[in-house]
Amino acid sequence: MARITLENIRKAFGKVQALDGISLDIKDNEFFVLFGPAGAGKTTILNCIAGITMPEEGTISFNGEIMNLIDPAHRNVAMVFENYALFPQMTVYDNMASALRSKLYREDEAVIKERIDKAARMMKMEKLLERLPSQLSNGQKQRVAMGRALVRTPNVFLMDEPLAHLDAKLRNSMRTELKEMQANLGSTCIYVTHDFMEAMALGDRIAIINKGKIVQIGSGDEIYYMPCNEFTAELMGDPQINIIPAEIYKSGSGYGAEMIVNGSKVRHELPEDKGVFAKIQERGLVKVDLGIRPQHIKYAFAPADGYFKTTVYSYESIGNKSVITAECGAYQLRMIAPNGLNVDIDSDIYIKLELDRSILFDPDSKKYLTRYDEEAIKSFAVKEVQ
Amino acid sequence: MKTGKQRALNVLMNVLLIIYAIFALFPLLWMLLISFKSDTEVFTTTFIFHPTLANYQQVLLRSDYARYIRDSLIVSGGAVLVSIIVGVPAAYALARYNFARKEELAFQILSYKFAPEILVVLPLFMIYQKLGLYDSYIGLIWVYQLISLPLLIWVVRGYFEDISVEIEYAAQVDGYTWYQIFFKMLVPLIKPGLVSSALLAFIFAWNSFTFPLILASSKVYPVTVAITKYLGTDSAHYGQLAVAATVSAIPAMVFALCIQKHLVRGLSFGAVKG
Amino acid sequence: MAGLTLEHLYKRYDNSGKKKKTVNDYAVKDLNLVCEQGEFIAFLGPSGCGKTTTLRMIAGLEEITQGNIYIGDRLVNNLHPKDRHIGLAFEDYAMYPPLNVYGNVAFNLRAKGVDKNEIDRRVREIAPLMQIDDLLDKMPVKLSGGQKQRVNIARAIIREPELLLMDEPLSHLDGKARQAMRVEIKRLINKIRCTTIYVTHDQLEAMSLADKIAIINFGVLQQFGTPTEVYDDPVNEFVASFIGEPPMNILETTIAKINDKFFFTFKDSNLQIAVPKRYYSVVQDGFRCKMGVRPMDVLVGGPDSDGTPEEIATFENLGDERRIGIHVGDVLLMLITEDEKRYKRGDIIKLEVREEKTHLFDIETGDRIREKQEA
Repeated sequence: MARITLENIRKAFGKVQALDGISLDIKDNEFFVLFGPAGAGKTTILNCIAGITMPEEGTISFNGEIMNLIDPAHRNVAMVFENYALFPQMTVYDNMASALRSKLYREDEAVIKERIDKAARMMKMEKLLERLPSQLSNGQKQRVAMGRALVRTPNVFLMDEPLAHLDAKLRNSMRTELKEMQANLGSTCIYVTHDFMEAMALGDRIAIINKGKIVQIGSGDEIYYMPCNEFTAELMGDPQINIIPAEIYKSGSGYGAEMIVNGSKVRHELPEDKGVFAKIQERGLVKVDLGIRPQHIKYAFAPADGYFKTTVYSYESIGNKSVITAECGAYQLRMIAPNGLNVDIDSDIYIKLELDRSILFDPDSKKYLTRYDEEAIKSFAVKEVQ
Repeated sequence: MKTGKQRALNVLMNVLLIIYAIFALFPLLWMLLISFKSDTEVFTTTFIFHPTLANYQQVLLRSDYARYIRDSLIVSGGAVLVSIIVGVPAAYALARYNFARKEELAFQILSYKFAPEILVVLPLFMIYQKLGLYDSYIGLIWVYQLISLPLLIWVVRGYFEDISVEIEYAAQVDGYTWYQIFFKMLVPLIKPGLVSSALLAFIFAWNSFTFPLILASSKVYPVTVAITKYLGTDSAHYGQLAVAATVSAIPAMVFALCIQKHLVRGLSFGAVKG
Repeated sequence: MAGLTLEHLYKRYDNSGKKKKTVNDYAVKDLNLVCEQGEFIAFLGPSGCGKTTTLRMIAGLEEITQGNIYIGDRLVNNLHPKDRHIGLAFEDYAMYPPLNVYGNVAFNLRAKGVDKNEIDRRVREIAPLMQIDDLLDKMPVKLSGGQKQRVNIARAIIREPELLLMDEPLSHLDGKARQAMRVEIKRLINKIRCTTIYVTHDQLEAMSLADKIAIINFGVLQQFGTPTEVYDDPVNEFVASFIGEPPMNILETTIAKINDKFFFTFKDSNLQIAVPKRYYSVVQDGFRCKMGVRPMDVLVGGPDSDGTPEEIATFENLGDERRIGIHVGDVLLMLITEDEKRYKRGDIIKLEVREEKTHLFDIETGDRIREKQEA
């Protein structure tokens, strides 16, 4: 159990700056997720904390004690590797016992057995203990790798994309199992993933990493509802958020947004919202990017009031629901629809944007400006961490 | 109909394999036959002759043959041992660390095998005489590294490269020191490659002829060179020659048979499969 | 263009050379399938289920052990692959590296000795369709995965095949590229209207692309129907749990008769779900079977709901939706909710199940138990 603090960590591999000034303060017992696209530097951060990689600058401390010069063995961290890194010549049992049989963390064989049995029960792999890693499926290997970490009582659990190599279904069910175990971890955990659902579901807090830098840190809800820029907004959510360039015009006492759909101008009144209108006035906004999540776009197959016409680009199922993509010229709009509709490609569709759920971004810097119901959302999404 | 065609194909394949086997094994069989013949029968008969053990008695009991075998064992075994002690860490370094000119160095090690032995042996002869290594065990063991070391390093390096570096990290995080990791985790994983390449290196060293012929004379007498003794200047004792050759081939054949399964698997790389 | 008919198709691999006999040595067993002209069919199943073997038999790359394959009206059993008028797009791109994209796309026509101008016309026609017009001069090594796959498909369709066969064409692409390419394929097939067989192990791909899905397991066709049919009306437990994510909740249950009504009851759980009336003819008190219900059909009841109070075991906030897991015995019953409420582990919710959406499966065979049809 430890509070992990990283201060201004920098690391380069050759000419590539893998980490470019990373500072993190991870609380004791927190489940902290590092989330970002491939090659963002997430694994490097983990390796620095484990002591496998030496940062060129900056300090890493556990409970205030600087660990930079301590070797991995003495840091008392338990790590789950992306490729599992099981010892191929050892049985599952011996793999799990490995740390507890080392000189540093030695325990009695009886204690080892007890802990392994407990972890095996938790991971539902009691029957696998005598097998060799080569006799396991990917899902089972993943469990063993997790089990090998769970038998320990480390300062911190480091998990590097433990579910990445599983297929979609298994990944989702393993994520649920992980969520179930989370309460029993009893230590700080740093979890690396590129899957936003894992990040949202598991993380007490999430740090978005891109190109070796931290983009945003916050709770899942905070990042989902108030992404600090369009990059973050696009990472969170599947199908991706729609970003629509629009021009603000004055309309009576309020404002409206004008966007181009297939070459012609479409005007929408902006629903009234104190925060949004104040922001528009204060910044004198003329151009904005509107971010609207796919579930907040309505559609109809006949003309209706407040709907504009466009054509269907595609209609496809994404499991329990489907996505209609509509062609709008310079951009496409994705929206959620039920399965089993009879939608023909290139047929007409009528669309209405629920602007009162939208997020406003600056079209030049792509940064977050404001959103509808900002105060209400802040009140439940932004959690102060003590 | 289909099965009939397949059966015919199978028969044909087996016939061809048998023909090949006869072709490949015939020289060995011939050698074995000669070793049981008396000198007079060597050229006169093929399969029908009066088998005699005289040649064996002559070679094994009345000459220094045991000493030659012992010398071969010492130099070949010593060469392999040195190769393992030097080669395994070298292979690890080549597999794991990045340093300037790494690939060039690796290639240079391999290139020792390119030069024909006869090309390098004469300068070596002169150098050895100056250094006092001529006709010594150490000298031969040293020069045999040209044969055994490149083979061992290249095979074992492949094995190390196949072990994901995360396995080492995992063991480090589990609280093991580098030496413990090396001997507990890595050595078992490279064992198939290490054993097969070491045995192959042993066989190559055992069969080496040019180096011991030129770089050794009376004190060190490996069996390959010793065989030539039975070819006198005036007379050739083909029977004894055949005995010496047969017996000297035994260790190599025994090894090859023992390890053939591992040899194919071990040399085709791949420690951590599945 | 033509339809495809498979009649009692068998494939048995000759295992006589191997020491270990496999228990199930039929890779494909009595497969019957009719797809109409212009249909997009997905072969869906876990790896090793025989779907690729079937595809290879249709292509003529694999010998047929027994049965017949018709493309249109032609029996093609003994035809050489090149005479079957098929286009193939495989998982591995397998392009000719020394040729540029144009050369690769044109290769097949050149080999057939088609007139040069005609080749050029066809390549120019297909290139914009596959959005590879800018790539024609590039060499294969310079292409991204998605681009390679486009070229690969262009190569397959340039011979104007009667039948287009695709074997996991998207499996080398990652997340977003894969999704984008899926849409492209769908639009392309929609345009050229070619009968297509598409092999995949990803139920999502099959569901989103295909007109009809053939679900195969252990070489045996389980169900053949439209995506909606296989989703709403699965014939057995395998299909029910294979289609859909999260998969259908499948729980062992014992039917109990309470006050003349039947209920599903579960071991070590207070959960009771009313059995729909239509099943009354097939169940009785103490009847054991499996009950399946999709996560979307399990609901969180409001404050005055009469649903069973249950404790939340897992709560996953996924942004767009939220998933709740409830322990029913040792199985985790999943439900999906889009309401904005944030629960946490240990909260009590009232669980409601859309009874009419429940399915019954045989406890041994996993076959669907259906209500008795009126004669």
